[in-house]
Amino acid sequence: MQVEKFYYDNKTVRNFAYATMLWGAVGMLAGLWISLQLIFPSMNITQYGSFGRLRPLHTNAVIFAFVGNGIFMGVYYSLQRLCKARMFSDTLSKIHFWGWQLIIVAAAISLPIGLTNGAEYAELIWPIDVAITLIWVVFGWNMFGTIIKRREKHLYVAIWFYIATFVTVAVLHIVRSFELPYSWLQSYSWFSGVQDALVQWWYGHNAVAFFLTTPYLGMMYYFLPKAANRPVYSYRLSIIHFWALIFLYIWAGPHHLLYTALPNWAQSLGVVFSFMLIFPSWGGMINGLLTLRGAWDRVRDDVILKFMVVAVTAYGMATFEGPMLSLKSVSAISHYTDWIIAHVHVGALGWNGMLTFGILYWLIPRIFNTNLYSKKLANNHFWLGTLGILFYAIPMYWAGVQQSLMWKQFTDAGNLKYPFLETVTYMKPFYAMRSLGGTMFLVGVLIMFYNIYKTVKAGKLVANEPAEAAPLEKEYVKHAGEHWHRWIERKPVQLMVLSLVVILIGGAIEMIPTFLIKENVPTISSVKPYTPLELQGRDIYVREGCYTCHSQMIRPFRSETERYGEYSKAGEFVYDHPFQWGSKRTGPDLAREGAGNLKKSDAWHFRHFREPSSMSEGSIMPAYNFMLEQNLDTSNTAAKINAMRTLGVPYEKGYEKYANEDLMMQAKGISINLKIDSIRISPNKEVIALIAYIQRLGTDISKSANAQK
Amino acid sequence: MFKFIKQYAEKIDNAQVYPMISLFIFFLFFIVLLVVVKNMGKERIKELSNIPLDKEELSNSTL
Repeated sequence: MQVEKFYYDNKTVRNFAYATMLWGAVGMLAGLWISLQLIFPSMNITQYGSFGRLRPLHTNAVIFAFVGNGIFMGVYYSLQRLCKARMFSDTLSKIHFWGWQLIIVAAAISLPIGLTNGAEYAELIWPIDVAITLIWVVFGWNMFGTIIKRREKHLYVAIWFYIATFVTVAVLHIVRSFELPYSWLQSYSWFSGVQDALVQWWYGHNAVAFFLTTPYLGMMYYFLPKAANRPVYSYRLSIIHFWALIFLYIWAGPHHLLYTALPNWAQSLGVVFSFMLIFPSWGGMINGLLTLRGAWDRVRDDVILKFMVVAVTAYGMATFEGPMLSLKSVSAISHYTDWIIAHVHVGALGWNGMLTFGILYWLIPRIFNTNLYSKKLANNHFWLGTLGILFYAIPMYWAGVQQSLMWKQFTDAGNLKYPFLETVTYMKPFYAMRSLGGTMFLVGVLIMFYNIYKTVKAGKLVANEPAEAAPLEKEYVKHAGEHWHRWIERKPVQLMVLSLVVILIGGAIEMIPTFLIKENVPTISSVKPYTPLELQGRDIYVREGCYTCHSQMIRPFRSETERYGEYSKAGEFVYDHPFQWGSKRTGPDLAREGAGNLKKSDAWHFRHFREPSSMSEGSIMPAYNFMLEQNLDTSNTAAKINAMRTLGVPYEKGYEKYANEDLMMQAKGISINLKIDSIRISPNKEVIALIAYIQRLGTDISKSANAQK
Repeated sequence: MFKFIKQYAEKIDNAQVYPMISLFIFFLFFIVLLVVVKNMGKERIKELSNIPLDKEELSNSTL
């Protein structure tokens, strides 16, 4: 057969590689900065640099900018070689690259100025969500175009992982982005309370699964054999790894909601599937490590293999820990603590970080047709990175366990032993050690910058790398007795449809009961919609990212009900668009901050927002004194009320016309309250709305308790 | 484990059926997958796992 000549596109690969490095450093720097803010609260400089706004910037930058570009770099390089074809369209490649960078820039601007949806890892506002959808379609189009015009009959397992990633991320992103815009920039989540929580963690967990894991597994299956120059240990195992992983992952989300107000059966579903995940995950890890069988001596000398071995090992550790953390008894002590921070960083720094670095060191010299500038520097990077991970993770594990024990410790008399604040100040040395680990990791990355820069200088980009291969036969004759799986291996569209079906089964069975749950959430008659001022205050709470440090979900443990009051009920959250249960308690739970023993005066809250440490000595919360200056924007109250009504919140028809009158009346009440305590402030300041919201928290239930009495 | 799930699930009408369905579907799927993978030919596996390694003569020979 006539051999065809063609050229691989290395320019797009190079662009994505540069973007990976740049955004990686930005995301890690943001992480280092916010870690220092937990030790030195004065580093919360202006409202644009406060922890609550920068933490989403860190997570989004690392996930979507660093790992996102890393995925595209890996896919654009490996897909062309595995398909023996140039990418489908240079124009689509360009749109994809620049579109994605534009989205990242939009995120980097919108998050610090306080534009957010208030859902973890889905913070980006609706116009950006639309842009992500469009660019993702461009990526898929370009990928499938390439696969369809390929010259290699069989689809190597890496491509399956890429296809599953494309399909699932599309489904996750679209479902999580169901939101009702009330302005050109902002919106409310379509779902509320328990439903929103289930959708969120179905999304959140699968963002880990299908953005941080499956595409990187695809890359592992390509780049590890390339770097080791030997085929994967077991191709059979890789097939099982693929199908079992995508099948199981999609169900696991509810393990983020154990002991919450989510119905117990849904929690158990999450536990069972999360636990089973250990098998395919470890199958994959073992497959990766055994690829190096008989070549371990090379690992000693080959720095790229070292990076990859640490990456695969970190994958193994994180995927062992994940199922363990999903057990209810373990979740009871680990949830809300820094243990989880350690867990995710073993994954992000170890698995994603180290694999990305290994691939960069392997790939850059190849597309620049030269050798790596310095193996010694790469080795230094390796050790700084590896030790950095340890210096990061070990103190955080320690901190997490310590935190949990202190939260749950009772005195002999049966009282809680530690006030919450004491558990916070105790953490500072651990936070400092974590920052040291993060610094080491970042310094390693900067060394890589220099090494790659020198490598690039020494070589010249082979923008269009020549290759040749015979075209595919037009017609393929099916052999008698052939397996359906052989058929699937050749058919990308069928493979996509089948993986879509597989993840939709999981999604649907998890989602359909979500709607059942809505009907089964026991309604609590005393739970009423927020007043307009409280609603505005709640939106400020969301804007400031308070959920990054405060939960609003009291679990049914004595240590929690003693500290925070009655445990949270599903019916309390029916008007919460979005839900704000949070996932981390750097500060205390706020679910009942306005009720019972926790209730404080308006003046206390005012002073606390102005300077937290003046009311709680040693507090590491940022000061929010800008809210004392900024006027509350009430021009959108009507639009917000209308949007909420559309979403099912029972505001009377026509209420939007009077909402601002009610708002001002309530605000004046708080302002008068403050005046009694000699605080003079105009009722139209933002802090008044936030105080109104905080004072509302938890009062619905105490009202019903009073009524029963 | 089923009893454990059911005890909570019963509080919601017919909800117990969902975890059951999910486990059943996965079990069936997994068994079929194992059989299929086990029956794949040795040569084929070798050929597939060598795709990334630029062994031109090997991958071209199947065309």
